[in-house]
Amino acid sequence: MGSNRPLDNTRPGPRRAFSPLTAPDRDHGGGVVAQTPSVRGGVRSAPVRGLTPRDDGKILYDTSERSGVNDAYVIGAGQTPFGAMPGESYRSLFASAVDAAVAGVETGIDRDDIDEVIVGSLGVGGRQLGLSAPAATEHLGLDGVPSTRVENACAASGYAVRQAVQAVKSGMADVALAGGVELMTDMSSDVTKYWLGVSGETEWERLTGTTFAGVYAQMASAYLDRYDATPEDLSLVSVKNHANGATNPKAHLDFECSLAEATDAPTVADPLTLYHCCPTSDGAAAVLVASGDVVDEYTSERVRVAGVGAASDRVGLFQRESYTSITAAERAGQRAYERAGVGPAALDFAEVHDCFAIAELLAYEDLGFCERGEAPELLAAGRTDPDGALPVNTSGGLKSKGHPIGATGAGQLTEAFDQLTGAAGDRQVPDPTYGLTHNVGGSGGAAVVHILEREGRA
Amino acid sequence: MTRPGITGVGAYAPRLRVTAETVAAAWGRFDAAGIETTAVPEADEDALTMAVAAGRRALTAAGVDPGAVAHLAFATTTPPLAEGDLTARLTSVLGTPETAHTQTVTGSTRAGAQALVGALEAGPWGEQVGLVVASDCPRGAPDSGIEHAAGAGAGALVLAADGPAAVTEYASHSHPAPGGRFRRSGETETPGLGVTAYDRETFTSTLGRAADQLDSETTADAAAVQSPDGKLPYRAASTLGVETETVAAAETVSSLGDTGVASVFLGLASALEEGARSVLLGAYGDGAGATVARVEGAVPVTVTTEGGERLDYPAYLRRRGEITREEPAGGGAYVSVPTWQQTIPQRHRLVAGRCPDCRALNIPPEGACRVCRHRPETYPTVDLPGTGTVEAATRIEQGGAPPEFVPQQSQSGPYVSAVVALDGPDGETVSVPAQVIAGGQSVDIGTPVTAVVRRLYTQEGVTRYGFKMQVAGLRA
Repeated sequence: MGSNRPLDNTRPGPRRAFSPLTAPDRDHGGGVVAQTPSVRGGVRSAPVRGLTPRDDGKILYDTSERSGVNDAYVIGAGQTPFGAMPGESYRSLFASAVDAAVAGVETGIDRDDIDEVIVGSLGVGGRQLGLSAPAATEHLGLDGVPSTRVENACAASGYAVRQAVQAVKSGMADVALAGGVELMTDMSSDVTKYWLGVSGETEWERLTGTTFAGVYAQMASAYLDRYDATPEDLSLVSVKNHANGATNPKAHLDFECSLAEATDAPTVADPLTLYHCCPTSDGAAAVLVASGDVVDEYTSERVRVAGVGAASDRVGLFQRESYTSITAAERAGQRAYERAGVGPAALDFAEVHDCFAIAELLAYEDLGFCERGEAPELLAAGRTDPDGALPVNTSGGLKSKGHPIGATGAGQLTEAFDQLTGAAGDRQVPDPTYGLTHNVGGSGGAAVVHILEREGRA
Repeated sequence: MTRPGITGVGAYAPRLRVTAETVAAAWGRFDAAGIETTAVPEADEDALTMAVAAGRRALTAAGVDPGAVAHLAFATTTPPLAEGDLTARLTSVLGTPETAHTQTVTGSTRAGAQALVGALEAGPWGEQVGLVVASDCPRGAPDSGIEHAAGAGAGALVLAADGPAAVTEYASHSHPAPGGRFRRSGETETPGLGVTAYDRETFTSTLGRAADQLDSETTADAAAVQSPDGKLPYRAASTLGVETETVAAAETVSSLGDTGVASVFLGLASALEEGARSVLLGAYGDGAGATVARVEGAVPVTVTTEGGERLDYPAYLRRRGEITREEPAGGGAYVSVPTWQQTIPQRHRLVAGRCPDCRALNIPPEGACRVCRHRPETYPTVDLPGTGTVEAATRIEQGGAPPEFVPQQSQSGPYVSAVVALDGPDGETVSVPAQVIAGGQSVDIGTPVTAVVRRLYTQEGVTRYGFKMQVAGLRA
């Protein structure tokens, strides 16, 4: 042993305040005053809307499991702009997202209040692949707080938020910070393509020469064949989401595209054209989750995590039961609906994982927005437009807002939080109560669905 | 002891062709007399994959199970590895016994005939058989006559005690005459000094001296003579004691180009297919040496050598890798060699596993059953016949390929990646991802496909061979 310097357990001086602790300056508009239902330790009689009884007459969704555990609330969420940001590092991006989330907390929050940090990231580019969460939180000055990286490909930060919810619901944390970050545009296109394929099934699927564009194109081929859909049906997803993203100041590709532009763009992997594929983006997003015990200390706008569901499936498409649906997403959705006690008809908007145009069509069906094979019709009829019955991807989705892999899930929740708190600006859906986020890892090996509820409106 | 006879002949040549006019238009001249088109290997073909294709056809023609092979010889001047036992992979892919005696013969375009003589002298093998495969894809400098002539192809002979086509006599001759055509160690392009009269004299006299040892009274329906171009074999007709028409009756060089060690076997296959019942083989390699043999009798032949798609010159240069990208930096999906090794039965021979609980087929046969989710200790194996149907497919275009597939795309253009339902023995299927060889076209769902073995990709210098699916009947 060398010198026996004692461990410095008593660092001199006070811990610095979490600066800046921006006071919220958002106009909360709408005059919504949260009521305070009895949530702690008791069964809330959640309204059950949009549910169809099963054939066997059983109640489809059982809310009983919510008894005896804390409810979880999103008290703040924020994201950096998504796009190409050569001046940023993964740590500076993550810090900006956390600042944005903190800024969204109505009464502000001290960093000492954060009990747990979960960072979603695939780790594109390698960088600090090991211990990347402590490396990100050290940059924030959150030394000492347990911090973990979660990896589930493109669903990394959706799963990170789920873990924050688990931490809060279990009582291990009063406030947990979950987020995600990815830096994808500072590499050569070849290196990027290497990383874009690392979540594919490596030994068999990838060795047929696919990245995710290829695997989703295979799904698209099966879907178009099975349901007599067309490439134009795919293009309509791009047209809608670009139109939405054009109104989002944080969107990566914030411009509109026409049906012809989408359909006639160069083919990447047929039937997918360049405009059927999301971009690779830099970005970060962060979500603050608090327990029902403390939520009122931070906000009067209670955005409850009404339900979260997650599921895994075979990593390789060839091993799955279906090529025209994503079973993991379907299961995740069912579990989320079950726990929230609401069905798809109750939703006021949804952010779905449209990494490729086909993925949004599959999402409509996996999440029960329509029957199998009817997604193109739902889309073409305008039902998922911003003024439709169920606006989907008001943010622009992955297609237009961008897809910084590890940040995407938390980014979706940021849009949902903004919508539910009336902070979505030009994209605002009128007085929403329920919003859903749908985050898929890889081509469907993992999926996580969150349903948020703005309390006081239901 | 009686020598074994030939009991089956197989021949294979790639479907791609480049015409003499195409090369002439590019260079202002075409330096390979008597050649109209040459066969061009696809980017994922090499001497080993062509050997597999010919070997399988020979075994099919002979009606012999691969398990009966006791002696396996592989002849090529263009082995994909200068060192490394390629017969082990040939054995694995063909499904021939691991205990078979194997040899690689190389270094001369008469290596196929040398391997044949070696097998004749080693056999017969009782109830078992010998398999001699000759496969070659020579290269020269792009502006050279050797490259203009260079073709590709493979021929294979199954030898057995009761083979109906007897090799009635054979003879060899060596003559120290260097400089005609040679390749130094470590090089891929074969040059020659181009001393025309010397080359021609060495070619004709060495073959002639070998033929002088044969019974001169016997005639032949066809003479399969080494064909570095479409002119030299006819020059050797008189020293071989045959008419030029007899040489023409077994020629493949005009359509396939110079097929190196495969030249004589491909000629034999072609002559037999045309009905010849006595064929003189005249194999020659610069340096120089010749081996001649006489084959008498009818024997089943399975030949796939007809041409398909014709390449323009840039496409030809791309296939040759002359103007294409190497694998870019940044890394490909890493599958270590030991990990790869565990999948060899599936990659090489489509060996599936059958779930002992629910009987579903599984590839790879490991972990929980894809259907019933039970996890058996082991999966009993099932050999799949190699036919299947496309279930989902995409054509990966520019920008869609991961780095380790950039060289393939750069050389061959867009490729089809699919999920294919492979047929099981009892009407069931098992789905696998596979590239589908479709001549650059898209593939519809429901398209029937058959398995072939090709180069999949190369990592850490080790080329991984495995099955791809080919659109049934593809040649166009």
